[in-house]
Amino acid sequence: MSTAVGRLVRAELKLMVRDPLVLTFVFAFPIVTMLIIGGSFGTAPDPDFAGARPSHWYVASYLTVVIAATGLIMLPVHLASYRERGVLRRFQASGFPRFSFAIAQLVVGLMVTAVASGMLLIVAAPVYGVPDMALPGRALLGIVVGAVAFVSGGVLLGSLLPSARSAQAVGLLLFFPSFLLGSGGPPPQVMGSALRHVADVLPLTVVTKSIRDPWLGLGTATTSLVIVAVLAVAATVVAARRAAL
Amino acid sequence: MIRDLRKRYGGRAVVDGLDLDVEAGEVVGLIGANGAGKTTTVECIQGLRRPDSGTLRVLGYDPTTQADQLRPLIGSQLQDSALPDRLRVHEAVELFATSRARSGDELLERFGLTSRRASAFGSLSGGERQRLFLVLALLNRPQLVFLDELTQGLDPAARRNVWAAVAQLRDEGATVLLVTHELDEAEALCDRVVAMRDGRVLDAGPPADLVDRHAKWATVRFSWSAADSTLDELRSLTGVRSVARVDERIEVRGDRRIIAYVGADLVRRGAVPDDLTVEVPDLEAALLGLLDKEGVAA
Repeated sequence: MSTAVGRLVRAELKLMVRDPLVLTFVFAFPIVTMLIIGGSFGTAPDPDFAGARPSHWYVASYLTVVIAATGLIMLPVHLASYRERGVLRRFQASGFPRFSFAIAQLVVGLMVTAVASGMLLIVAAPVYGVPDMALPGRALLGIVVGAVAFVSGGVLLGSLLPSARSAQAVGLLLFFPSFLLGSGGPPPQVMGSALRHVADVLPLTVVTKSIRDPWLGLGTATTSLVIVAVLAVAATVVAARRAAL
Repeated sequence: MIRDLRKRYGGRAVVDGLDLDVEAGEVVGLIGANGAGKTTTVECIQGLRRPDSGTLRVLGYDPTTQADQLRPLIGSQLQDSALPDRLRVHEAVELFATSRARSGDELLERFGLTSRRASAFGSLSGGERQRLFLVLALLNRPQLVFLDELTQGLDPAARRNVWAAVAQLRDEGATVLLVTHELDEAEALCDRVVAMRDGRVLDAGPPADLVDRHAKWATVRFSWSAADSTLDELRSLTGVRSVARVDERIEVRGDRRIIAYVGADLVRRGAVPDDLTVEVPDLEAALLGLLDKEGVAA
């Protein structure tokens, strides 16, 4: 891998797995909370979970916790710290091609998401079982476009926030409400109407729906999937421009 | 080559009609106080900043519109630019090495970093970081090297170390643009220095020429118990501006010719002192006043 993107991906992957923030939020947090919440509501089909087993509901929801942690915490903090410390300027001055860094971040973000998601399912399998995908094509498409949308959004956020500290603050502030209302918290059926309205407009809720519904056979989630796809394209275009060297 | 470069920030002209030429194989020092516009100039040359106006040609390219072609040909040790703390030294070398790169291990060896190969950037000392930036700046066989305040914050030993590395670079025929506000550094390393103030070039030339132009004086000091009338005779020597008795010693000031005339006069009188010292200005003394904001020439 001697292209600029290849060299960046290799170095960045090493840095990500050495970063305690990444290990905590992207790898450990989703697994630990999935194990707790997934076991809290039993394994019998439940009308509050649209007739699905609560444990399966959460297994199918939790990939978006990984996606959110990558897009809202890992990448913004990483990018903002690079800009703050002049690392991006050094890449620029050293002749790295204009879009090499943005592409590398996208690749690294997706690779980290894939590995962390895989680990989540490996842990879930013996404990709660991994439910079969009712509409595998749609569910997988939901995972891919959702991951692209949040990874690009994370690159975009990181390019807008002035410092690693502010990125960490803003990232956590966006992550926890998204996590609780849009993915790993109570199902929408038990939320009050106000809370449910807030949850409905959160991007993570839409991503979760576009994965969970076709996965558990609760629906096709076509509207959600289209919204996420549009978000993914828009975020990727803007992020690539913002993170260009 | 730079012609009439201009750059303003919020109404203040940081670079104000600058002309600069650097020949291949030259080590040129850009010197001036903080805020003189040195770093902005270098950033414009590298295409990291867009000038408001002016003509720039670097290795045949216009850095404003052809930065993509230019940047692979230059090596830059940037001011205020770090690397990720957890990146190890050899990983940094691998990250920045293009297909044109020379052996990273050889460069690490040359700059005394072989033992730190596996160390994280965050654990390096200031001097080690600067030497690593030098390694990265030279890695891809650049035709032009920019060194910006490369010894800032280093202890004297580390400074000497970095200087030796630049001298070696010069001997290998690299073209180097060295930005510094340390005049002793410019004097030690540069073939030619360009003195800047308020975004303009004040004067340029080999360090010795600048000293000649801006500080032709010399001071000769020696012990001599001569009568005051004898001192008056010294005052009449060519080039002498003042003669004073400071403690037990005589201090003669004037232009450079006094060194020969005072020496000859003392020999003629058979009064050769064994503690005669001559002080001639260095680049720092010559340009200190010139580079000050107030601009009082030395």
